[in-house]
Amino acid sequence: MENTQPEGGENNRDLEVAPALISVHPTQDSVAVAVGSDLRVFDLRGNCAVTLVDETGEAFHKDSIRAIRYGANGKLFVSSGDDKLVKVWSTDSWRCIASVCSEKRVSAVAVSNDGLYVCYADKFGVVWVVDLHGLDGNETLVNKKASPLLAHYCSIITSLEFSPDGRFIVTADRDFKIRVTVFPKKPLDGAHEIQSFCLGHTEFVSCLAFLFTVDYPQGFLVSGGGDSTVRLWDINPGTLLDTCEFGSKAGIVDYKGNEVSCSTVTDLCTIPGSNVVAVAVQSLQGILLVSCDLSSQTFGAVKVISNMGDSFIPTSLGCSSSAELLWTITGVSKTSRF
Amino acid sequence: MLENEANPTISKSTGLPRKRFYRARAHSNPLSDSHFPVPISPSHVDYSLHYPQFFSSSGEVGSIKKVQFADVGCGFGGLLISLSTLFPETLMIGMELRDKVTEYVRERILALRTTNPGQYQNVSVVRTNSMKYIPNYFEKGQLTKMFFLFPDPHFKEKNHRRRVISPHLLDEYAYVLEVGGIIYTITDVEELGDWMKSCLENHPMFEALTKEELEADPAVKLLNTATEEGQKVARNEGQTFQAVYRRIAPSL
Repeated sequence: MENTQPEGGENNRDLEVAPALISVHPTQDSVAVAVGSDLRVFDLRGNCAVTLVDETGEAFHKDSIRAIRYGANGKLFVSSGDDKLVKVWSTDSWRCIASVCSEKRVSAVAVSNDGLYVCYADKFGVVWVVDLHGLDGNETLVNKKASPLLAHYCSIITSLEFSPDGRFIVTADRDFKIRVTVFPKKPLDGAHEIQSFCLGHTEFVSCLAFLFTVDYPQGFLVSGGGDSTVRLWDINPGTLLDTCEFGSKAGIVDYKGNEVSCSTVTDLCTIPGSNVVAVAVQSLQGILLVSCDLSSQTFGAVKVISNMGDSFIPTSLGCSSSAELLWTITGVSKTSRF
Repeated sequence: MLENEANPTISKSTGLPRKRFYRARAHSNPLSDSHFPVPISPSHVDYSLHYPQFFSSSGEVGSIKKVQFADVGCGFGGLLISLSTLFPETLMIGMELRDKVTEYVRERILALRTTNPGQYQNVSVVRTNSMKYIPNYFEKGQLTKMFFLFPDPHFKEKNHRRRVISPHLLDEYAYVLEVGGIIYTITDVEELGDWMKSCLENHPMFEALTKEELEADPAVKLLNTATEEGQKVARNEGQTFQAVYRRIAPSL
């Protein structure tokens, strides 16, 4: 385990901040961490901190960052949150190349697989799409307009994910719903065709991830939620394939030593090319590794990794596509790898 | 029986529930979180409780009938009652957010079943917020008709998102309607009529019915006459504005 991020003064801060977030560049060129309104990027090739350049007039983020993410091809990075600004960064220059004003606070972001569209979800359950065509990284676009793509009726969207083949955009909300929508050829006209709803969670859905391998390029959707389950889905018909109720397996104990039977999944990370899902659970010191048999479409063994140090409760997980390292972050700005 | 005689909410002459005991507000906020059970998914709804006769006679698992008509915001159920005898073999359900009104419709259907043996077995009602939970009740392409009769107009612009017909909600209605299924809307508020029509007109998965198709459709005739709200408008000689559209496959 190794600390890779300067710890600054975050530990001493009493203010309530958003849970720490981590995102890893697809080829592990860099790693980004957000704590509160603070965004830091560490260049793993050069082994140094990156200086972010923001000339959009708005000085970085002014309120808690709720979502950060690299695009699938690694050229873009997006950050957003409570200050209603969606910032798109070029990962070459680490300049902010576009800044979009959202009407509401932003709860999730995603970049289309071709890197041409940035989508973000707001607190009213609306997903917006921003067209990045013609953005070459040299100019800066301020106040780029977003168009509404789809909406969950007044339910906060917690997660936004593109399917591995880019055909679908998947949204999860606080009303137990996962919606699979065809990502249209002209996204600015809206995404009207719903492929399926994945229904089965009995509490809010907190996170989504796709598990896919060479043998299963379409992949399967994995979701975690407030009902302390991780679920496996076939998104085409919206079929629930298997449910992993980890509550008892993890043996989570609270500070009094009592076993906690119900705990929220805070983040999920599929390990690319493998059949393993890493799961961060509220109040669990460590992570769960859930394996999945893709041929029988069932979950297998659950393994608890708890040797991460005292009071290390991960709030966010990240992994590059080379899948060498799983990155985890806890409430204070401490990152580790193993 | 004794109980029934003592129950003043049931009319002695007709056996039907008396509406004045089921008074409710005309409007309801669809954004407030009311507490009522929501099925996890359509497969979790036990329709045999809603249509006992249909489910006891069919028996075999393979021949289970599915609900095909949904009356969203069914109010006191006037349309459902008319549709029930017009399409006696089609299962239909009313969805209503106000619990007293839902209760009334439930009692009304039960009373009609008692007084007309063999009839009204194909109608039922659920209390739910259809703006949030439509996908929890119906599978993809399950419905052939959806009705939105005299919905709450929500005049203020900031309340437009409470309207039951909106561009985003139409995506969900298109999902539960089969290709060729029909959506019926009617209102006595011109502004809302324009709004519903433009929402449907601009949606890539709906097209308007032709004049001939409208005239041939027996359900269209009921829009003005069957509901309590429609009868009230007719009594006051008010105007109504309808928009009837067909679900089509989206062009690629």
